[in-house]
Amino acid sequence: MNSFFRKLRWLAQRSDKEAELRQEIQFHLEEEAERCQEDGLAEEEAQWAARRELGNVALVAEDTRAEWGWTRLEQLARDAGYGLRQVRRNPGFSAVAIATLALGIGGSTAMFSAFDAVLIRPLPYAEADRLVMIWDDMGREGRPGHMPAPAEFLEWRRHNTVFTDIAATQAGDATLSGDGEPEEVPARKVTWTLWSVLGVQPMRGRVFTEDEDNKGVRLVVISHGLWQRRFGGSPRIIGRKISLNDEPYEVIGVMPQGFYFMPSRDIDIWMPASFPPWMRTNFGWHNAQIVARLKQGITLEQARKSMAALSLQVTAKDFRGPHSVVVNLLREEMTGKTQTALIVLLCASAALLLIACVNLANLLMSRGAARATEVAVRTALGAGRGRLIAQFLTESLVLAGLGALAGLALALPAMRFLERLVPEAMGAARLTLDCRVLAFSAAVAIAAALIFGLAPALRGSRVAPQAGLRDRGRGATGPRSHWFPYSLIMVETALAVVLLTCGGLLLQTFEHLRNTDLGIRSEKLLTFEMPLFRYKEFDRRVPFINAQLDKVRAIPGVINAGAINRIPFTNAAHATFYRLEGQSSNAVPGQVALIRNMSRDYFATVGARLREGRFFDASDRKSDSPVAIISEPLANRHFPGRSPLGQRLKFGELNDKGYWYTVVGVVKQIRESGVLEDARPAIYRVFEQCDQVNERLSTGIVVRTAVEPTSIISSVRQAIWSIDRNQPVARIRTMEEIVDRQLATSSQSTALLGAFALLALLLASLGLYGVLSYAVTQRINEIGVRMALGATSSQILFSFGKRGLALTLAGLAIGLVLEAMASRLMTSLLYGFRPDYVPTVTAVSLILLAVAALACFVPARRASRVDPVIALRNE
Amino acid sequence: MRLDPLSRVGLLQGTLDLLILRTLRAGPAHGHAIAKHIQRTSEDLLQVETGSLYPALHRLEAKGWITPSWELSKKGKRARFYRLTPLGRKQLAAEQSKWEAFSRAMGLILNPVDQEAR
Repeated sequence: MNSFFRKLRWLAQRSDKEAELRQEIQFHLEEEAERCQEDGLAEEEAQWAARRELGNVALVAEDTRAEWGWTRLEQLARDAGYGLRQVRRNPGFSAVAIATLALGIGGSTAMFSAFDAVLIRPLPYAEADRLVMIWDDMGREGRPGHMPAPAEFLEWRRHNTVFTDIAATQAGDATLSGDGEPEEVPARKVTWTLWSVLGVQPMRGRVFTEDEDNKGVRLVVISHGLWQRRFGGSPRIIGRKISLNDEPYEVIGVMPQGFYFMPSRDIDIWMPASFPPWMRTNFGWHNAQIVARLKQGITLEQARKSMAALSLQVTAKDFRGPHSVVVNLLREEMTGKTQTALIVLLCASAALLLIACVNLANLLMSRGAARATEVAVRTALGAGRGRLIAQFLTESLVLAGLGALAGLALALPAMRFLERLVPEAMGAARLTLDCRVLAFSAAVAIAAALIFGLAPALRGSRVAPQAGLRDRGRGATGPRSHWFPYSLIMVETALAVVLLTCGGLLLQTFEHLRNTDLGIRSEKLLTFEMPLFRYKEFDRRVPFINAQLDKVRAIPGVINAGAINRIPFTNAAHATFYRLEGQSSNAVPGQVALIRNMSRDYFATVGARLREGRFFDASDRKSDSPVAIISEPLANRHFPGRSPLGQRLKFGELNDKGYWYTVVGVVKQIRESGVLEDARPAIYRVFEQCDQVNERLSTGIVVRTAVEPTSIISSVRQAIWSIDRNQPVARIRTMEEIVDRQLATSSQSTALLGAFALLALLLASLGLYGVLSYAVTQRINEIGVRMALGATSSQILFSFGKRGLALTLAGLAIGLVLEAMASRLMTSLLYGFRPDYVPTVTAVSLILLAVAALACFVPARRASRVDPVIALRNE
Repeated sequence: MRLDPLSRVGLLQGTLDLLILRTLRAGPAHGHAIAKHIQRTSEDLLQVETGSLYPALHRLEAKGWITPSWELSKKGKRARFYRLTPLGRKQLAAEQSKWEAFSRAMGLILNPVDQEAR
């Protein structure tokens, strides 16, 4: 290493060093001459003797310089300079090469930045690969990943043998008030074990203890973001009292920047879960997410086995019968489908890069033939083959380097787009060109240079000087065999086919998802939430909501407004058992339905469709005989072929308390739990009749507008505040935003893969065009002879067109075989949808053949237009 | 005794470095002096090719075994003197013992008579 730095220093003092060497040799000559004179030679003779003794002074100097260790470097610099000159001298070729490489390198760089952020970068927890999440396996209900009950968590924590510890978290609403406008803050109720399970410490203060958690002490740990945003990063934040849901909480800790945890990176407040006593024993109350840390030496498989057994044991006496659990790695839970999407897209970008490289290899190969004379001259002047290969590769590196620079310029905007692919559960929403990404793109550029440069370098350097010089002026020489460029064409066509087909399948899936019947009309619908912790009592809550809705309806541009306790598509929770009149209690364990409470106008506002019966109306007031509307699947399940109107049902498990609800309507299914989720049966009630219900302290409001929904946001706020100046308004979104967000992974991977596929098609057809053009140029004499001998131009056209189409068909066949393998990788991106391969494959084949025909036709036509006289005159 | 130039011995590969280091142990010297010293001490048996002397000096310098400085020669001219560094001294010791072992081994094989006589 030392000697490396010494050499580096020498490089800096280069001209000094040269002068010193001259002086040193001069001194040697003088000294030797003097010695010879002492031996009795005349002065001039002595000088000559000294020179003879030293040998070729220039050579000695050169050999000495070689010891300075810069020769390689100098050669490299010379070759790079030469490469840059080549780029300037052939602007057309260089522009195509650099643009192609920029697409390939830029695409893979951008994809890698997202891949790195989601799948490689360590999560902000200690030894995150030992963190797992545990879900109930309610196979019978068709939902493998069901939220466990806190009661189960307590049992697991007590009896498990495979985890160092387990933690539970629950959804929590928090409205932060005092010091400015009230603000709905994403919050989470967590058990005191969360911090030790994740292996994280607050950057300031402390976290709460087991005792504080159990006693329900009002403490919170806040996020770095909230600390900065709301409290200006004040150092005196610890110990400060803040007001959450109008109750005083003490801030005891601030988490470090970059900390986040499921289910969203936006969570700003963590408060003690403090399970109430009834929750600790109720195995039917499923509302927790569980995270656990595997003990050292315990594998995921062992944990799965052990926890399945434990869960069966714990729930042995559950009235629904025992159930098992699902144990998954935390990272997989966080990334979800994005993982597959990213892998598929990274592969696609790699395929695009490969196609770009293959194209360039072909281009360089044909240019190599044109440079045969130059190579011959160099060889004749003594350049070794290794030296020539090094030179060619350096030129390729120059191209790749320029391509990478242009690629980075392309990658930046692409990364802005890709940011939306990062799952909500993960941090690092912002993708940056950090040193990892830059190192990756440098590595990709070098690999690309080797891939596209090696074969042309090996071939181009193999010119016998004699042949090369003799052929001067004829241009084309070099090996005449075409198998290499032709196989490259087949490879890139095949890759393009794979990308096109995958893109087609994703497009079909996306279309299918987008056309899924949501059950409501999502356009021109504004949604927001109103935390209602200040209206806990039923008698104040319902009139307040209704008064607010009246105010909102009065806003110009508003058609209607309704309220529902959970905005559709956003929440899978809040389901309950139900029992139909006349059923025995044995039926109840298999009967779970989502339950939603709403204002009377809600269904009309969102545009739900009635199958039979009626919506809620003014006659549905608080009473002992309430009514319910059920979803179509529920009606079909229990009343196939007959009307459920007038039937009665009851909520809850087995107790006899509670009203009987009379079914007054059947509504077409609405995908309450999410656009991409399987539809679940649902039961709807009207607020006025929910007096028995332990209601959530927040309600969702939906507003149907005639105008652009976002344009009325400030009027809505004013309307709400005109009744209660301190009423918070949270999570204002349009329904379309909600739907789009859920389709984002699908729409973005479709768009990206589609773009990759089209670029691949473009590059592949350019490649085909290039190779055929080159073949025509090379064989111009032959064509001339054939035409002179009587071949018609259509025969020539056909003979060239035939070759291009044969290559395309071969590529198509290989591509379809590869596609059969690739599509397996994609299954999870198809969301259970089984797209029909036939139209996609047909469309891809037709498009490919059409584009290929065009790419062949242009050079083939040129061949058919060759004038034999001119062609042969060249001979 | 002066030998005919024809019977001079060419240097074995790699021995020049050792000879230079050994020569410099006596004190700093410039290139010419080193060449002459090797020639003289070996009773003119070893002829240092000046063409390889300077590359060798610069190589040793690059390795950090010797270090140069410009000083005045005996005749008052500026010359590039080389001196041994501590690292070079260590290297010399290592090379020397290796060489001695080698030459002893060669001797044993080439002169078995001596062995029998003992």
